[in-house]
Amino acid sequence: MSAARRGEAWFGRRDRRVRGASWFMAVPLACAAPALAAPDPVETLATTVCQACHMSDGNSVVPQFPKLAGQQATYLEKQLADFLEGRRRNEVMEPFLSQVKARDIKELAAYYAAQVPGPGVVLDPELAEAGRRIYEDGNEGAGVPGCEACHQLQGEGNVRYPRLAGQHQAYTIQEMLDFRSGQRANDKGGLMRRISERLTDEEIRAVAEYIAGL
Amino acid sequence: MKTRLLVVSLLALPVLASCAESGPPPRAEESGHGGQVWNEMEGEKLQALGAAGDAARGAITFEVCEGCHRNGGAGRVNGSYPRLAGQHAPVLIKQITDIRAGRRTNHKMVPFSGADVIGAQDIADIAAYLAAQPVTPDNGRGPGDDIERGGQLYARDCATCHGEFGKGAAARFYPRLSGQHYLYLLREARAIRNGERGNSNPEMVQAIKAYSDADLEAVSDFVSRLPPG
Repeated sequence: MSAARRGEAWFGRRDRRVRGASWFMAVPLACAAPALAAPDPVETLATTVCQACHMSDGNSVVPQFPKLAGQQATYLEKQLADFLEGRRRNEVMEPFLSQVKARDIKELAAYYAAQVPGPGVVLDPELAEAGRRIYEDGNEGAGVPGCEACHQLQGEGNVRYPRLAGQHQAYTIQEMLDFRSGQRANDKGGLMRRISERLTDEEIRAVAEYIAGL
Repeated sequence: MKTRLLVVSLLALPVLASCAESGPPPRAEESGHGGQVWNEMEGEKLQALGAAGDAARGAITFEVCEGCHRNGGAGRVNGSYPRLAGQHAPVLIKQITDIRAGRRTNHKMVPFSGADVIGAQDIADIAAYLAAQPVTPDNGRGPGDDIERGGQLYARDCATCHGEFGKGAAARFYPRLSGQHYLYLLREARAIRNGERGNSNPEMVQAIKAYSDADLEAVSDFVSRLPPG
């Protein structure tokens, strides 16, 4: 056996002893930890900062503020990153964003994705029925794709596209108008901007009404 | 060593043979857009044609397209959107890159085929996915009142390129017609005859330029009844 090999072996043994010692010392610390544990800082962020508009459980009650409960985590992560880096702007969100750090994004997104979404409310069933046709089939004459292809038939979205189901009408309408005007421009390939340009105001209202009831 | 060389050259034979068989695509002036060479092999089209398409990835990328072209690219019976299922991959690649380069006129499709939406690899993936989708017998058919004459026209003017059963020819970028929706066939045939499609093969324009509307309806009806697959 060479000197080098013997050295490795020796260090290996020493390493185990050192690790053994740190295990021994860690035991009382670990036992004390639960009593001293502070609430998770990101959860605190949700329940103290985001809560003001989105509620702790993500089921916002103000129609202008989006429901986040059950939203796709990938979507939430992207939107938070876009807000922090200036790709998406919202003057109501801005003062609160100073309290969100880039390192919190993943956990914050996971928190709201894990909340249970409450049901939405349809106010105008006739309008919702007109919206269903757009949601499922689009508008062939204007070249509007059916929303269901990406956002799924029940509006639950998937890892690539956001959940829409149960969203407040007012929020959906606002975002569609912002896409159309270019005020919101963080959509992939400008797809939502192009689609919103092809929808009339009435069609936007209708599809938002249908989405609220999904 | 000699044996290995022999094996390699035997393996290469079918590839070479298929290249020779397909030959270079026809080059001619396109009628719709002045001075354009039909199916010119330029950058992006070549890139997509050369890329190895991944059907599983293509199924995911095609998600957005399903908003119009429906699940699996079945299209719509009312002809508003073509059936893409079972179409030859090179045909799909040609059409998408033509639309995006402005060679084929299709304003509905333009925003969805932009370079910021799909890259050359995505196009190859989508084409691989769609080419593998089954052509089902539920396509829209014509009224069925002039099929015999439609069949005669087809045999005389169309079968040479599109094949007796409308299966097209992948290597020559001739589309499969079987299983396509009648109203889409009719819409595009009219656009081609009227010089409105933009990227039509000049031979195709020549073949139907004397067709009346009734002729186009008859031949489209016949084609919509060709056995799918």
